[in-house]
Amino acid sequence: MTTLVVPSVGGRAVGATPKARRSWAWLGLFPFFAFLALFLIVPAISVFSKSLYDSKDHFGLTALRDAFRGQNLAAFKFSVWLSALSAAVGVVVGTLLAYAAATARRPRWLRSLVASFSGVAANLGGIPLAFAFIALLGRQGLATKILSALGVDLYGSGFQLDTTQGLTAAYSYFQIPLMVLITLPAIDGLKTSWRESAASLGGTSFTYWRRIGLPVLAPSLLGGFLLLFANAFSAYATARAMTTKSLIVPLRIGFYLRGDISTGEEQLGFSLAAWMIIIMAVCMGLYWILRKRAERWRS
Amino acid sequence: MAFVENSVGAYATMYAFADSEGDRPTTPTPASRAKRFGRIVPVTIMVLCGLFFTLPLLAMARFSLQNVPMIHLGWSTLFKKWSFSGITRAFGEQGFRDGLKLSSVLAVGTVVLTLGLLLPTALWVHLRVPKARAFIEFLTVLPYVIPPIALVAGIRVIKPHARWFLNSDLSLIPFYVVLALPFTFRALDAGIRAIDVKTLVDASRGLGAGWVTTMRRALIPNLRTAIISSAFLTATVVLGEFTIAQVLLKRTLPQFMAEYQSREGQGGMGLALLAIVATTTLLAILTLATRKRGQAQPISRF
Repeated sequence: MTTLVVPSVGGRAVGATPKARRSWAWLGLFPFFAFLALFLIVPAISVFSKSLYDSKDHFGLTALRDAFRGQNLAAFKFSVWLSALSAAVGVVVGTLLAYAAATARRPRWLRSLVASFSGVAANLGGIPLAFAFIALLGRQGLATKILSALGVDLYGSGFQLDTTQGLTAAYSYFQIPLMVLITLPAIDGLKTSWRESAASLGGTSFTYWRRIGLPVLAPSLLGGFLLLFANAFSAYATARAMTTKSLIVPLRIGFYLRGDISTGEEQLGFSLAAWMIIIMAVCMGLYWILRKRAERWRS
Repeated sequence: MAFVENSVGAYATMYAFADSEGDRPTTPTPASRAKRFGRIVPVTIMVLCGLFFTLPLLAMARFSLQNVPMIHLGWSTLFKKWSFSGITRAFGEQGFRDGLKLSSVLAVGTVVLTLGLLLPTALWVHLRVPKARAFIEFLTVLPYVIPPIALVAGIRVIKPHARWFLNSDLSLIPFYVVLALPFTFRALDAGIRAIDVKTLVDASRGLGAGWVTTMRRALIPNLRTAIISSAFLTATVVLGEFTIAQVLLKRTLPQFMAEYQSREGQGGMGLALLAIVATTTLLAILTLATRKRGQAQPISRF
C-alpha cells in the first residue's frame, strides 16, 4: 500500500523522461485518493486511535480488551452464533437453489428468473425486510395465524422474533440469494465432460460429487460462507427494526454511539467498532484468497 | 430503494453476472434409477424457496392494505376491506414529506458527486495509469471492510473537530458516495472497458476538441448505460440507507418509516411495501436493460 502513495512523485522534474511523465499521471488520481482518505480512511483510523486509549487517556490495549466484558461479550457470542447460523443456512439452501436453477431444463425462464430475483433480493434488507417478517412471523403474523389454524402454536413453542430463529429467518431472505449469486457461476463451471469421464471410469454419481464436484466447488462454498458471515455480522438495520434490545454487536455499537451516556462508555462503542473492522478485514481477506482459488476452474 | 444492510458481498456478483453468457450448466447424465429422484428434489427446493420468498411480501401486503384484524381473518373475510387508506394517511404526514425531500436531495447529491469524482478517475486510470488499476480496485472494496456501523463510529470520533460540517444534513452525501463506491466504480469501469476509449479520445482530440468537449460529445454518450446503472444503484442505496442516518439523527425517509411504523403500524408497513415494490421494479428494469445489450455489467451491488 505505502509504495503507491501519491505525493512521492512531487519532487520529479516536469516531463523530463517518460518515466517522470508517468509518475505525474498519478497526480490525476489525487482527488480520488484525497476524498477516500477524508471520508473513509480518516474515520476508520480515528476509531482505532480512540479505542487504543482508555477512559483515563492511557495508551494501551485495555479498551480493546474491555470490549469483551459482560453484555458486550454476550453480544459477541450472539452475533457470531447468529452470523454463522444464517451463513450456514444461506450456503446450504443457496447452493441447492442455484443447482436446481442451473440444471433445470424446463421452463427455460426459470434460471434467469432465479438469477434476477437473487440480484434484487440480495439487496433487500433493513427496515422494510424487518417489517415483512414482523407481518409474517409476529404475534399477529400471517404465518403464525396459518400455523395455528393447522394446530401449531408457534409462540407457545417458545418462538420469538428477536431470537436467533427469528433473526435467522429474516437474514435468510438476503443471505440465500447472495449465495445463489456466488455459486451460480461456480456450478456453471462444472463441466459435463468431468461427469462423463467419471461415469466412463465406472464412478457413480456419489463418487463424482465426492471426488470431483465438491472439491471443485469447495473454495466457492467456503468463500461464500465467509462472505455471508461478514454480511450478517455487520448488519444493523434489520435487527434494529426487529428488536428493541441490543442483542448483536452492531446494535451495541449503535447503543453506545446514540446514547446519552458518559464518555467512558462511549469509548466502548469505538472499541467494538474497531473489532468489527478487524473481523470484517479477516473475513474479506480470506474470501479474497478463496475467490482467487475458485476462479482457477473457470476458463 | 435498496435497503442494503451493508455492501459486503457486492463484488460477488461482479463475476456472478460476468460469465452468465458462457457455457450452460451441465445437465446430469441421468442414471435411470436416479432420474425420478433427481427431479423431485430440485422441484421441492424451488417450491419451498418460492414460498419463503413470496410469503413475507404477501403478509406485508395484507397487513398494510387490509383493515381486518388478524383474529377475524378467515375465508369469509379474506377479500373484504382492502384499501390504500393506511398509505394515503402516511403520505399526509409532515415527517413523510420532509423525509422524502431530504432523501431525494441526498440521492441527487450523491449521484452527482459519485459521477463527478468517479468518472474522471476511472477514465484517467484507464488512459494514463493502468498500473494503478489493482490498487484502485482494492480501495473501492474497502467500504466492505469498514461497514456503515463502523464508519459512523468514525464519524462520531471526528465530529467534535468538524461540527460545522457534520451538523448539516447534506454532510451525509460524501459518506453515501463511499458506501456506494464498490459497485458504482465497477459499473463505470465495466462500461469504460467495453468501449475503445483511447481511440475515441484520440479521434476527438485530433479533431481539435478540448477535454470538456471530448467528455461531453464523445465519451458520455458512449458510456450512457454504465452511467445510468451506477446512478440508479447509487440512488437505491441512498434512499434505503438507515444505519448512518439513524445514529447521526438525520431525518431521512427510512428513518421516518421506522419511527412511523411504531405508532401507525399499518401506514408504516404500507410505506415499507411501497419501498420494496419500487426497489424491485427499479432493479428489475435495470437487469433487463443491461442484459438485453449482452453486456457483462454488474447490475447489482452484489
